[in-house]
Amino acid sequence: MNSIDPPATVSVLDRDQIRDLMTQVLAAQGKDLPSGESADLREIGFRSLDFSELALRVEDEIGRELNFDAPGLRNIRTVGDVLDLLAELQDAT
Amino acid sequence: MSDSPVPAASVVLVSGGSRGLGLSIVEDLVAAGLKVAAFARTVTPELAKLADTEPDTVLAGSVDVTDLAAVTAFVRRTESTLGPIDGLVNNAAIGQDSLHVHTAPDALARLIETNLTAPLLLTRLVLRRLLATSRRGRIVNVTSICAQRGFPGLAAYSATKGGMEAATRSLARELRDRALINCVAPGFFASEMSAVLGSTQLDQIVRRTSTGRLTEPVDVLPVVRMLLTADTNIHGQVLTVDGGSNT
Ligand SMILES: NC(=O)c1ccc[n+]([C@@H]2O[C@H](COP(=O)([O-])OP(=O)(O)OC[C@H]3O[C@@H](n4cnc5c(N)ncnc54)[C@H](OP(=O)(O)O)[C@@H]3O)[C@@H](O)[C@H]2O)c1
Repeated sequence: MNSIDPPATVSVLDRDQIRDLMTQVLAAQGKDLPSGESADLREIGFRSLDFSELALRVEDEIGRELNFDAPGLRNIRTVGDVLDLLAELQDAT
Repeated sequence: MSDSPVPAASVVLVSGGSRGLGLSIVEDLVAAGLKVAAFARTVTPELAKLADTEPDTVLAGSVDVTDLAAVTAFVRRTESTLGPIDGLVNNAAIGQDSLHVHTAPDALARLIETNLTAPLLLTRLVLRRLLATSRRGRIVNVTSICAQRGFPGLAAYSATKGGMEAATRSLARELRDRALINCVAPGFFASEMSAVLGSTQLDQIVRRTSTGRLTEPVDVLPVVRMLLTADTNIHGQVLTVDGGSNT
């Protein structure tokens, strides 16, 4: 009998991998992710639900949930903040 | 059916009476001459001081509202210390500040257990003792504006408060004139629970409020006291104290 293996998951995504997923989230809305980490999220149109989508995509990749409270979300202003927060959340779970 | 009004409560049990609105309710009821038993997981120095200063009037206990055995023991202790309970304020609750999709299942279950299951069980316990001894009483459930209006980050919390309001209406039908049961639904006020709100959110709430200011516990106290003590014939209702943010 053939068994279907679950998709392989990695335990933690690095900044570049998270950045790739962020590019995909923005691309799905026809938006671009500027290079560097200092771009302002409001200027590139990355909203709080986009952060949710990105977090859920990261969860899919690492195979576990990254549940978190909203206050942390209120402090993210730049692309670098997004990458920092997702790195922090992965470390915490 | 009796044609006399349900008498004012004289011995009131307040859940979550250690700080915030609950502590203010305890202080207010004591000042109004009622006997009060209050519990929370941690008895704060303020509550302990009140109980020490007025041992014949105030009883304080360290009890988790989700621990039915401990709650039952505290109810019995209250009855033997202060007398039969004829008033209940379901005030203990925990808050939430997380989008539904990012709320862990165990956090969601804890919210429902603390804010909905536990007060329903406490209400059941107090009512059973009231009915078994031919007494009449009053119950006030502290709900929230969140039961009527949507706020992001509060889905499960709002569901518990809406659940208490729905239960209140059905219980009013069940209890008829044996006990009056109502809800007080405050708007946001400053406390440990609401400390997570950012200044942008608070500004937005104030802007949407007709009176132009946030609710304060002191605004809520006369309403709770009235429901516990005044002859009003108010039954199965939700009294909203929020400065008109939902108008
Ligand atoms: N703050 C607001 O903006 C707001 C708005 C509308 C409605 N409300 C409602 O008003 C009520 C009081 O809120 P608050 O702002 O005064 O909250 P708070 O300052 O956080 O106080 C909550 C109280 O409940 C107790 N409590 C929590 N979990 C408990 C448990 N498992 N067992 C026993 N006691 C428990 C707490 O003590 P321990 O932690 O030591 O147990 C404390 O005494 C709540 O029902 C809340 O939903 C609040």
